[in-house]
Amino acid sequence: MNQSTCQEISDKSLPTEPLWRIRLRLMWRGLGRNWAFFVENRIGLVGLGIILFFFLLMIAHPILMSTVWDPVVYDPVIGYDEITIDVTVVDGQITDSLQEINIDVAKIDYDPAAQVGDVLTILAQPAPPSRAHLLGTDPLGRDVLSQLMYSTASEFTLGIMAALVTVFIATTIGAVSAYYGGLIDTFFMRLADLIIILPFLPILIVLGALFDLELIHLALLIGVLGGFGGTTLIIKAQALTVKVKPFIEAARIAGGSDWHVIFTHLVPNLMPLAFLYMMFTVTGAIFSEAVLSFFGLLDINMSWGIMIQLAQNQGYLLSGTRYWWLLMPSGLAICLLCTAFYLVGRALDEVVNPRLRQR
Amino acid sequence: MITPILSVEDLTMHYATRAGNISAVNNVSFSLAEGESLGLVGESGCGKTSIALCLLKLLPDNACIKGGHVWMGDTDLVPLSDEEMRGFRWNRISMVFQAAMNSLNPVYKVGDQIVEAMQEHLGVMTGQQARDRVAELFKLVGIDPAMMDRYPHEFSGGMRQRAVIAMALSCNPEVIIADEPTTALDVIVQDRVLRKLEEIQEALNMAMIYISHDIAVIAEVSDRIGVMYAGRMAEIATSVEIFERPLHPYSHALMGAFPSIRGKKRELVPLPGEPPDLLHPPSGCRFHPRCPCATEICRQKTPPFKDHGGGHLAACWHPLEVGP
Amino acid sequence: MTGFILRRTAQIVLTLVVFQTLLFFLLQAQPGGIQYQFIGNPDIPPEAQQLIIERLGLDQPLEKQYLNYLKNFLTGNLGFSFVHYPRPVMDIIAERAPRTILLFLTATVVSFYTGFFLGRILAWQRGGLVEYGVTLGGSFLYTVFTPWFGLVMIWIFAFKLDWLPVGKFLNPLKWQDAPVRANVVFGHMLLTALVLSLLLFILYLVTHKIGQWKDPIRRVGITGFLLVTVGVWAASGLGGYALDIAGHLVLPTLTITLTAFASTMLLTRNSMLETLREDYILTARAKGLSERVVRDRHAARNALLPVVTSLVLNLAAVISGGIITETIFSWPGMGLTLLQAAQQKDIPLAMGALTFVGVLALIAHLVVDVLYAFLDPRIRYH
Repeated sequence: MNQSTCQEISDKSLPTEPLWRIRLRLMWRGLGRNWAFFVENRIGLVGLGIILFFFLLMIAHPILMSTVWDPVVYDPVIGYDEITIDVTVVDGQITDSLQEINIDVAKIDYDPAAQVGDVLTILAQPAPPSRAHLLGTDPLGRDVLSQLMYSTASEFTLGIMAALVTVFIATTIGAVSAYYGGLIDTFFMRLADLIIILPFLPILIVLGALFDLELIHLALLIGVLGGFGGTTLIIKAQALTVKVKPFIEAARIAGGSDWHVIFTHLVPNLMPLAFLYMMFTVTGAIFSEAVLSFFGLLDINMSWGIMIQLAQNQGYLLSGTRYWWLLMPSGLAICLLCTAFYLVGRALDEVVNPRLRQR
Repeated sequence: MITPILSVEDLTMHYATRAGNISAVNNVSFSLAEGESLGLVGESGCGKTSIALCLLKLLPDNACIKGGHVWMGDTDLVPLSDEEMRGFRWNRISMVFQAAMNSLNPVYKVGDQIVEAMQEHLGVMTGQQARDRVAELFKLVGIDPAMMDRYPHEFSGGMRQRAVIAMALSCNPEVIIADEPTTALDVIVQDRVLRKLEEIQEALNMAMIYISHDIAVIAEVSDRIGVMYAGRMAEIATSVEIFERPLHPYSHALMGAFPSIRGKKRELVPLPGEPPDLLHPPSGCRFHPRCPCATEICRQKTPPFKDHGGGHLAACWHPLEVGP
Repeated sequence: MTGFILRRTAQIVLTLVVFQTLLFFLLQAQPGGIQYQFIGNPDIPPEAQQLIIERLGLDQPLEKQYLNYLKNFLTGNLGFSFVHYPRPVMDIIAERAPRTILLFLTATVVSFYTGFFLGRILAWQRGGLVEYGVTLGGSFLYTVFTPWFGLVMIWIFAFKLDWLPVGKFLNPLKWQDAPVRANVVFGHMLLTALVLSLLLFILYLVTHKIGQWKDPIRRVGITGFLLVTVGVWAASGLGGYALDIAGHLVLPTLTITLTAFASTMLLTRNSMLETLREDYILTARAKGLSERVVRDRHAARNALLPVVTSLVLNLAAVISGGIITETIFSWPGMGLTLLQAAQQKDIPLAMGALTFVGVLALIAHLVVDVLYAFLDPRIRYH
């Protein structure tokens, strides 16, 4: 067969579209299919909805701060609002600290000439929700809603940063361990074993005591601890099943270097599983931060955990439902956002693991 | 006329799915005499395994037996409740499943799993009695009795198959159904297991239904052969009859697809088309779209399953008169 | 089987050494280095500091210090607490450890069993409202803010309903005339738990082969053991005290269980669903066994395996939850100690408590591994 005919044949067998276009189309189609699976299970949608809600809160804050809200009053960390309430002086036990004041306290703190039955105007922090402050103010006079929205940004940052670090480390180590096996594999698996066994929280607590941890330190810490731990084992197991597939062999034979095979062929097949575990990492990160802040072990200005801690320190936590705005918004926010990511993770689980699907 | 040990009359079963009803078994009838071995052959998805599951009433939740009878002695198994059916399972009719590798529970010893079946049906027996019986069964199928205290993962593929056969025999059933028992094995082991099965069947004078898509294997072990197509029984006759004088065009095609080692070398003739979609099965005779002899009546009316002489039954409007 | 146990123990010991090494470097990394552990307390006068440095060899090269550190760990010398000076850390640990161990064991067992039983039931309720409800409820409990949740539990059960005590682990009034110290009673309770477990284990082994009479004999055996236990405690006169402690144990255990059971439950459900599709389940049904036997003896037993594996992760969660719970309930165990030490920057005590937590986790891990090998014969022959 002469040269030109070969050329014609090989020209005809070239794809008519550029490769990236084809890949994009396949990816888009795959995405559509996976979205259909995801949507089938309504809990995933619930989770996604909640995340979207918080995302909107996060964006709304700087907008509000620069337009409607006066920074002097509404700044989450240093704002202050002078709020006064009218209370009646009573003798003996007060049943409602937002409406009554004991006569001895009134005489000492406000007016020595106070009498039972008088109505005094006193400064009141924390103040209950009002039109100016939709969720009231905290014991230091700062707007709760502003705090809530402001913290959302740091919570998201913390969660996603930790998750990305975890996934990056876990995927790399998982893929490398599965690919090379041998000593590298044993080392990382033993390390992962160690990290799984040891509980997360005590280590973070002690680290919080030894060093001054800020949000970014915490995120990195959680990311690293998670990345070398349990997630690696799961991803490595998955990598092992992908490694034996023919296309990996084909890539190697075609002359691909080890790194090329690992990162261009192996890792993309691990992405769905890694993405799934990202969700759980975010949950863990937000939760850990809240706990650590609650116990005063972190060096950060404002977060949902700090809000609860302040309420606890000033003794408002166990007051029943009287000062609910100090506790409910932040507590609920933590719970909702963590749950949201967890639900999304569970729904993704059904997408990634076909055996769990209802069909 | 000897009373058959198992008699299936007009059995009809379908699976309910989101897309509609899949007509998996449609008006199937056959009978099994004591000590006889019947081979059920057909393409994948023709309903062979479905029939087996019907007999044991082990159908999944979305399956429903719409009609027919399964007579075992004087009892019709079809209307029986699950509770009542339990007394029949394993005790009177047992089964060796496809790919028996996974039929054994990995966390219990093999011997214990056989003992479990016996204790369920054969009444109280002492530990030693049970062990003796298992040893007996193992010897029968050709496994070292010492293996009864080992776990399934310590058995080789062929040994596991034989262990499962031993388990099926444990309660002295009247009928054993073997669903592709040798498909997952290599040819040499397959041969050994087949021989063993034949031996056992003769020794115990047990009735057996042998299901396979492999005609070669069916030909070796069966006295009679039933050819199934698209959920229906196309033809039943003795093995010799089916091979030498197939009446249904499908049976004929199956034989045509089967190379002969000794006979004349001839070209293998594949059958055109594909097995029908049982969600919307063809009208009339389900084989008509692929049948070279099909006519108008084949498309319109379902042929009756009738005797064409000497116990040779077929469902066809134009049964073949001449041999291959 | 014994070979497996020995191998696993060796691995665990190795892991412990690695853990201690990491702790050593952690200590070294903070400002002041390892010396800080012993002389960081500003109350120690300089001459005494110098003496300590010489005595403990704190001015020696790093490798020597490292070996010293390990030696200290093995001999139980974990330094002196800053806050409780001059009490040695080991002393504090010895006093508070039994309380944490009791809480930990109870919480682990209860949360595991609750999760397992609920998950099993859940596997039968595919789809529908029950599944959504339990999933959402479980997710909520899994992510609820534990300190707040603990306080709510106290508020509901202790304040409002007055069913259970508020906190601490005993009622001082009841113990005024007690003949023994609290720790002794704790020790006895732990011993009882251990002996009971062993007896139950032996009972199960012995009745494994019997067949027909297995269940009735086991029930009789269990009831008998429990009666004997109650009798022994009553006769010893310490029964009342043990009951007091047990009463205080309820609310913390309940709190930990509620937060930790959800993951076990969901995993069990998934595991059951996967197991039920296996071939040997069909075979079991074909053998004419009842639905209950198929489910409990064949399916559950296999579905249990991945759940036990995850128990390892769950252990870590129980310990973490335990720390928070101990603090909220003022249960004076190692968890509370760890947290307080961290808050007060009492480094030696914090490190000591962390070491304790590490050792506890490792031992628990070993026990679970052996348990798993016992359940899954395929693991034993590596």
